Amino acid sequence: MLSCRTLGPPRHPADIPVTEDLAAEARFLHAALFARAVDPAIVERYVDAHRLLFTGEPTSPLVSRIVERRLDAEAIEYALRRRKAGRELTRKLQILCYLAEARAAYQPEFFNRKERPSQAILALVAAALRSAWKLVKGEALVRRHGLL
Amino acid sequence: MSGAMDSFDAIVVGSGAAATFAAVGLRGRRVLMLDVGFDASRDSDLRGNLYDLKQTHDDLFEPLIGRQFESLHNLHQPPISLKLKSPFMSYIARDARRLTPVAGDPFGGVVSLARGGLANAWGAGVFRYTDRDLAGFPITAADLAASFDEVTARMGVSGVNGDDLEPYFERDDRLQPPIRLSSIFDDMLRRYERAKPNFRKARVAIGRSRLAVLTQPRHGRAAYEYENLEFFRPHDPGIYTPAYTVSELIASGAIEYRSGRLVLRYAERNGTVEVEARNLDSGEMETWRGGTLCLGAGALNTTRIVLASNADYDTRLPLLDNPMACIPLLDLTRIGSALQTRDTSLAQLNVVAEDEDGRLAQGSLYGTTGPLRSDFLFELPLSARGNRVWAKYVAPATAFLMLFYARDPDAWSGVQLRPSGDLDVRLAPEPPHALEHVLIGLFRRIGFLSHRAMIQRPVMGSALHFAGTLPMSAQPLRYQTDRDGRLAGTSRVHVVDGACLPRLPAKNATLTIMANALRIGRRLATTLA
Repeated sequence: MLSCRTLGPPRHPADIPVTEDLAAEARFLHAALFARAVDPAIVERYVDAHRLLFTGEPTSPLVSRIVERRLDAEAIEYALRRRKAGRELTRKLQILCYLAEARAAYQPEFFNRKERPSQAILALVAAALRSAWKLVKGEALVRRHGLL
Repeated sequence: MSGAMDSFDAIVVGSGAAATFAAVGLRGRRVLMLDVGFDASRDSDLRGNLYDLKQTHDDLFEPLIGRQFESLHNLHQPPISLKLKSPFMSYIARDARRLTPVAGDPFGGVVSLARGGLANAWGAGVFRYTDRDLAGFPITAADLAASFDEVTARMGVSGVNGDDLEPYFERDDRLQPPIRLSSIFDDMLRRYERAKPNFRKARVAIGRSRLAVLTQPRHGRAAYEYENLEFFRPHDPGIYTPAYTVSELIASGAIEYRSGRLVLRYAERNGTVEVEARNLDSGEMETWRGGTLCLGAGALNTTRIVLASNADYDTRLPLLDNPMACIPLLDLTRIGSALQTRDTSLAQLNVVAEDEDGRLAQGSLYGTTGPLRSDFLFELPLSARGNRVWAKYVAPATAFLMLFYARDPDAWSGVQLRPSGDLDVRLAPEPPHALEHVLIGLFRRIGFLSHRAMIQRPVMGSALHFAGTLPMSAQPLRYQTDRDGRLAGTSRVHVVDGACLPRLPAKNATLTIMANALRIGRRLATTLA
């Protein structure tokens, strides 16, 4: 029950370019979220999730442009989220978080299992400063690349 | 149309909190329970502690996310409660939108066609309606007292007597010891004891929750084990669900249980009630006959059946649900504390607050160990990576006060059946209450910080406490019920679920619905005898 499985029916050859695009998208967005090598199971499941849940939805021009131009997805997502926009980008990042949270290797990214008050304060201050920088950068990228 | 020619003393529709206890009350009579009755998958036996499993298993994709990506539900469909979307719990809301469609914008509700109904995922909070709560009802607390006792004895309830919430909960000498408090709530309670005069002055009290959760083994059920799996594992033996009682009733021969039946309408003919149901396996229509009918399909589906039986697509009936506000509370001294792995996502403390007009609000306090972190990561105030840091270090320092307000019928809220079969639901939004400001100030005094800007207001319908569509009245008019739930204009049709509550106090109504259904079932059993 707890094993890793390949999902869904075998892929049709016509799906392969879409699959490769989605896999590249997964790898790129993963790098925006986590400072670690991507787990191949996450990429595979990201592709399957799109095939299973979002079939028929048009591809997102916003996300395609971010991936093509190698823009800072975290910064853009934050800037757009603050404006209550860019829902599809937030959703894709959230899918990756869900998939990562189910993997043992990613547990330290989400949970703290020791008493670390000082480290926590430092990490939060750094995260707040980094978020402020990302917000400024995200606003600039949104404007420069016409992402709204 | 195929016919089931057997005639029963009583037909009970549904298997949730109300239907189950109506069937208990009808014990001794020949009772048929018609139910869709989706059940949990046999693969859903998840054992161990969630956070131990996360460390010992490389991959928890199937139980946490699901082969069909069930946990991503809220990213691509109208949102439902986090407890209803995980893979092994998703059977509770399975096919409900397809088989019993509800339309409304905005509407955060969902119905259940599962065996045991929505109570398979309830918070297990048990609250007796008192005479104050029953103002405007044609029944009193004394009418319900014996049924309250019987229901709580059957479920097993944990909690304490003698704390500041006893006047609100009422004394119960059969309580099991309360569940163990997480350290954050243990601290909160101690700080509250020290600051009690301030709370008293503001007419706010805090105390231990009363839960239909076993802390000691009982009737073959094991005690609750603090495995943090309430969001992922159905049928935790320590947490009561009506599905347990349905199984007992079936095993003892007290009911004939037919699952896979979606009841559509009824008609009274020749001294009996005929119930028309669709057999979901064969697709055929079936007719069942009984001496009396107990509708306990949940307020929305019971209303659908009543309106469809009258072919009424014009009448808009009243509808109630408790408005909610969710207040996050942050204890700065706990930032960076370790994850509490042997914890619970059940309510640990309750808050009762009275406003200047004497209206009560009730809140339940929850920790953060139940849902996935990814469920709320993008609700936090920082960038994506910053939010991960926030969740990692601040979540253990955070409690959530889920506040429920009372609701009386209003001119705007209501439910109407469309010819398409959809229920058109409208619920008036609730404006912010001044009480929220009072509560934030009081919690700040005991070291739990919050701000009005951080309050979240779930879409109306999210409480899933639907009621009031076919209200009880001393002199029932059309689409109202008498004190025994009998629908005006009928002689054999009884409404036993939340549909017959004329108003909703700020308390979860489930225990009162169970007790009232038991009371009605008992009275019907006597009449039928």
